Amino acid sequence: MSDLRKIIIDDQEIEVDGAMTLIQACEQVQTEVPRFCYHERLSIAGNCRMCLVEVVGGPPKPAASCAMQVRDLRPGPNGEPPVVKTNSPMVKKAREGVMEFMLINHPLDCPICDQGGECDLQDQAMAYGISETRFTEGKRAVDDLNLGPLVSTAMTRCISCTRCVRFTTEVAGITQMGQTGRGEDAEITSYLNQTLDSNLQGNIIDLCPVGALTSKPYAFTARPWELSKTESIDVMDALGSNIRIDTKGREVMRIVPRNHDGVNEEWISDKTRFNWDGLRRQRLDKPYIRENGRLRPASWPEALAAAATAMDGKKVAGLVGDLAPVEAAFALKQFVEGQGGSVECRVDGAKLPAGNRSAYVGTASVEDIDNAKVIYLIGTNPRDEAPVLNARIRKAWLNGADVKLIGVAADLTYDAEHLGPGRATVEKVLSDASEAENALVIIGQGAICDDDGEAVLGKAMALTEALGGKMLVLHTAAGRVGAMDAGAVTGGGINAALDGAEVIYNLGADEIDMPDGAFVIYQGSHGDRGAHRADIILPAAAFPEENGLFVNTEGRPQLAQRASFPPGEAKENWAILRALSAQAGAALGYDTLAQLRQALIAEVPHLAQIDQVVENEWQALPVMPIEMAKFGLAVTDFYLTNPITRASALMAELSANAKARMATKVAAE
Amino acid sequence: MGILNTMLRAVTWWNGQTLNTQFYTWRKGVKVGEDEQGNVFYTTRDGKRRWVTFNGEPEASRISPDWHGWLHGTWENTPDKEPLAHKSWQKPHQENLTGSALAYAPAGSMRQAQPADRRDYEAWSPE
Repeated sequence: MSDLRKIIIDDQEIEVDGAMTLIQACEQVQTEVPRFCYHERLSIAGNCRMCLVEVVGGPPKPAASCAMQVRDLRPGPNGEPPVVKTNSPMVKKAREGVMEFMLINHPLDCPICDQGGECDLQDQAMAYGISETRFTEGKRAVDDLNLGPLVSTAMTRCISCTRCVRFTTEVAGITQMGQTGRGEDAEITSYLNQTLDSNLQGNIIDLCPVGALTSKPYAFTARPWELSKTESIDVMDALGSNIRIDTKGREVMRIVPRNHDGVNEEWISDKTRFNWDGLRRQRLDKPYIRENGRLRPASWPEALAAAATAMDGKKVAGLVGDLAPVEAAFALKQFVEGQGGSVECRVDGAKLPAGNRSAYVGTASVEDIDNAKVIYLIGTNPRDEAPVLNARIRKAWLNGADVKLIGVAADLTYDAEHLGPGRATVEKVLSDASEAENALVIIGQGAICDDDGEAVLGKAMALTEALGGKMLVLHTAAGRVGAMDAGAVTGGGINAALDGAEVIYNLGADEIDMPDGAFVIYQGSHGDRGAHRADIILPAAAFPEENGLFVNTEGRPQLAQRASFPPGEAKENWAILRALSAQAGAALGYDTLAQLRQALIAEVPHLAQIDQVVENEWQALPVMPIEMAKFGLAVTDFYLTNPITRASALMAELSANAKARMATKVAAE
Repeated sequence: MGILNTMLRAVTWWNGQTLNTQFYTWRKGVKVGEDEQGNVFYTTRDGKRRWVTFNGEPEASRISPDWHGWLHGTWENTPDKEPLAHKSWQKPHQENLTGSALAYAPAGSMRQAQPADRRDYEAWSPE
């Protein structure tokens, strides 16, 4: 149904889809049209009037290019293509007029504004601002809002583009923001002075073209031009959102999203955006050895020698934590298996079948959600487990998809039909299932962490087959798929791995209890549960401090780049394992990360396909009987899921706020 | 008071009083007093001009507020004849140390002899 139209933009003739807006058509010919309210991923508002262009032959006034479609333009009298001018004198004059009106009520506080240096209004005033003001009347002032601990407001700076309102209602699915009043009294407000109840709210900071909404934790700490920017991958959930880490010196100052249509579009969750204060607290910066029941600081040679001695001739179990990059998991596997031990990455007890990638990753990509017509969510609450993915499901729902939820009932920001709480419902849905168009089954860790998890997974695969659709396993740990790919698994799962282990090498697994009596070597970045139980602590880098490969929940390998350095004497994860292996007399065969990656790719070839979703061959699991019980939830507290967030004061506050909000529901609801 | 010093005083103002001031003081000056730092205060016979010759570094902020007031004609009598009322909480006068080695440096300043221990992270400790 393509409706291609010819159009001439600034003397360049192109053929574009008639449904495109003029601003999109202009982008096709690399002509950038200034804009404030228009945003590719939000609905069109057309209220800032900055994107005015001249349409030859149209009405004798400038047209808002964001709100006019190519097919709405009239061709010339002899059928010539319509002509659009984006830099004629008329356009310049019109935009200067718009800019002058905007600057009437915009305060001149750029020197004390956090947006300074990355402000759309500042940039565009350079091109369309006039040098003096003709406005002598009083300026308006607007009361600031309290939107909670994340978003700081200075509403006098607001130019009423309504991007924040459109984002919160359309993408985040909350109803707290809106615009009230008319004319000069128009204000962006929150309904009944509520704070925002969404774990995607940080995105309105990026969306705001001026400094009306800025980041509260980052307030007045740095200017954009003094930050080093590193493109990396997020590890707070398994989605693997593309992020940019901004650092000043060794410190991470802020984290902002990067655009990736296949993964996170251009949103990130609040946990991703604001976890960085956890990177500064509770850090392990030197090795420790337990002596007479107390941990004492030690030097690296001492600690490595003690670890090698402790492991010598013992039954070793290696545990791969949730935030470990593939390289570290692979190095640990080679090292521990070389010592005759076994490695396990499914530390939460998930019954993911080893070797069957179609069962532990699935066959669907995140992008498939967009086209899905019916989505089954089994044992998952994507709003807590991967908020950005949830926003994507919401987008599919807005486009008419049916969302059905099996498991714990929850408010997912869209109407999901709750079919039932557990396994009995899966059986029923499976027996009723028939072929459906673009069906998608998303199974969460909450469904497969119990003893019969593999049977539930088998039922989900059977359901997928019956629907003729695709399946996506929604993980909660960023390192899980990568560790499964690297083969860091023990037959029988976590219990078999820990059974009878004399020495446990714990690579950042803080969410589980260690068995009594075992000697624990903890390698990690934060002094969390694992470090308190450890007999030897080897301090390691956190995710922004080392290069690493992460495979996200759809099976897409992505490279995370190092943005800063590990604190104190802490070292990169793989380097610690390499050093320890030499101490133990079984040196791993690589001296650099590049060599390690070569060895890894030789063993797991598909990891070389960076940023590609590898097609997985469908291998159905045997259908086994399942017990009749309810599903649990993999993530009970969204804000406190890993050692970094547990070290963060901000995340603790957000978690407490969320609990308080749950406890005091408004009576009228 | 060698020949070199005299020559220096002829062309500079920061090595004691200039020769001109010394000559003027000898010709017109009536000594009215001296503060605790040894700076000597003069006036002309008709009382129209008042000035000071420094004992040491000619630094205007070394003059205490008491003498400063007399020097600028705020009060008629010198503070040694008619002392000002001082509160018990008033600190003794101190000259402006800006630019000198004794200048104030905040705790985290690089000019501190021992800068405050500053880390960009909080380390975990087992206790």
